[in-house]
Amino acid sequence: MIAEATTWLAPLVAQGDFFTDRSEGSATECVAENKTVCLGWAWDNADRFVSPTLEHLVLVGLSVAFGFAIALGMAVLSHRRRWLVPTFTGASGVLYTIPSIALFLILLPITGRGNVTAIVALTLYTLQIIYRNIVTGLGNVPEAAKDAGRGMGMTERQLLWRVELPLAVPEIIAGLRIATVSTVAIATLAIFAGAGGLGEEIYTGGLLRDVFKTAIVVASGIAILMAVFFDALYIGLQRWLAPWRRVRAI
Amino acid sequence: MNTRNGDAEALSVRFEDVSKHYPGADAPAVDGLSLEIPEGEICVLVGPSGSGKTTAMRMVNRMIEITSGDIYVGDRSVRDRSPAELRRHIGYVIQQTGLFPHRTIDDNIATVPRLLGWDKARTQARVEELIGLIGLDPELRSRFPSQLSGGQQQRVGVARALAADPGVMLMDEPFGAVDPINRERLQNEFLRLQADVRKTICFVTHDIDEAIKMGDRVAVLREGGRLAQFATPAGLLMAPADEFVEDFVGADRALKRLSLLRVSDISLWEAPLAYVGQASAEVRAKLEGAEVPHPLLVDSERRPLGWLSERDLEREIVPDRPDSPAEPRLERDDVMRDALSDLLQAETQYAAVVDHEGRIAGVLSIEIISEFLGSGEALVEEHSAVERPLE
Repeated sequence: MIAEATTWLAPLVAQGDFFTDRSEGSATECVAENKTVCLGWAWDNADRFVSPTLEHLVLVGLSVAFGFAIALGMAVLSHRRRWLVPTFTGASGVLYTIPSIALFLILLPITGRGNVTAIVALTLYTLQIIYRNIVTGLGNVPEAAKDAGRGMGMTERQLLWRVELPLAVPEIIAGLRIATVSTVAIATLAIFAGAGGLGEEIYTGGLLRDVFKTAIVVASGIAILMAVFFDALYIGLQRWLAPWRRVRAI
Repeated sequence: MNTRNGDAEALSVRFEDVSKHYPGADAPAVDGLSLEIPEGEICVLVGPSGSGKTTAMRMVNRMIEITSGDIYVGDRSVRDRSPAELRRHIGYVIQQTGLFPHRTIDDNIATVPRLLGWDKARTQARVEELIGLIGLDPELRSRFPSQLSGGQQQRVGVARALAADPGVMLMDEPFGAVDPINRERLQNEFLRLQADVRKTICFVTHDIDEAIKMGDRVAVLREGGRLAQFATPAGLLMAPADEFVEDFVGADRALKRLSLLRVSDISLWEAPLAYVGQASAEVRAKLEGAEVPHPLLVDSERRPLGWLSERDLEREIVPDRPDSPAEPRLERDDVMRDALSDLLQAETQYAAVVDHEGRIAGVLSIEIISEFLGSGEALVEEHSAVERPLE
């Protein structure tokens, strides 16, 4: 499997006209000295980061969305079947411990090179955090609220969707925040699954090209901004979905 | 009562030899309980912990399943109805209020109407009606429960239970988590509300004073979930069935009986009246054989001004400002226990009792009260006193 991986990594390394790019433009000198950040180069080459960034967004967005859907399904399934909780926690925990590059390579024969492999792997990584947070959130719902809900004639399903899940929103969103930030980071490795994303710039543009620092710094910077962007999104989401959490209690 | 919500008719609740055995437990939690709560009455289940009072209550809406026996709401067995359907027609109030923290007050109150599929306009109208009924500031309607005080939350809990106008309500220590002053207020408010809505209520408490105050009937349960006595509060205080009930009711049951009565419920003494400007000799004549040995000075409207002393009567004409004022002054609606307390506090034997216009209605003495407690006359029917809200 590893041999296979090197064979597909090899052409990747050799392709492209990167060196010509490096010697062009107004920042030639900086680039030639390979300073930490060559802003001029970054500015001139902003174009080349656009599609990796978009690819990265898609990878993260889809993985977290799928992860959330699956984890929610698992949580709903195990909610009234408590014995499933350790099983699900254990299984998602095992997945979480597999080194990411290894997981990409394990998946390659099944899903082939490309976005599918990356998204499957990234999705599996989100399960542990999201699932555990949903379970925690559901566990924190006040007994009295559940008792009142049942006592007023809610079915178990109505109780789950109208009382328990809404009350678990803060914990669920906390889980999504962590899962998303870590996915933003791990998705930079998607390049090893043959998918795009910012990893392309970090590995093929940076590391594999005589360690060109500026490409690495710019791509990492974009990843950080992306994480911050998602975080802000979640804060907004929480304000919208859990307004009762913001009120001043007396 | 309004019938537009379908449920308004209060329904009786009948326990027939109901037992609950939890799996793995040696003894039953509730053991052969039989009792009937007539329509529109409050029945309080009271007892020490482990007496199965909450279990008994929760079997009515099948929050706990009955092991043997049956419970009828109206003439329908609860076993024949699906738990969800049954519960939507039974109001449910619990100690911790159980308000949904993520829903506004309006939305909390609208819970059951929405479960029943009422349309928006009808639900909205009902919520508004209930907000008025519990006297909640309408500004609080869009707030979340955590923004309300404990007392307000408890009122909202009651409103939520009343929302679909159920015939029966279950209340599990509804005022247990509120401080004593607010508890008293909530109890009184609730009795006023109940006088209006006339629900059949199964009320659980461990507090015998609350049971006596709130109940039309009180069921005292003992450990092991057996019924020790089922009686009116007065009956319970008058004739405890056994030592357990006597202990549970407490050594001060004589005083508790007084809290069931109002001054108007017992026959008062008549005071010899002296009018301003009357001759002392005339007043002295009235003292002969009077129940109260002191003349009470009243104005032309028969409003008490004060008690005349021997020295006052030495004058030819009675003075218009007597030495001792007519304190304490009681009203006919005062609760007897408070009246006694006023008498003791004023360190006096007699108190003038006045009607709503402030005119003299009679005299209450410590002697009347002690005689009354000694004889226990006609106490059982005096129960009417608690049906009117105390305040």
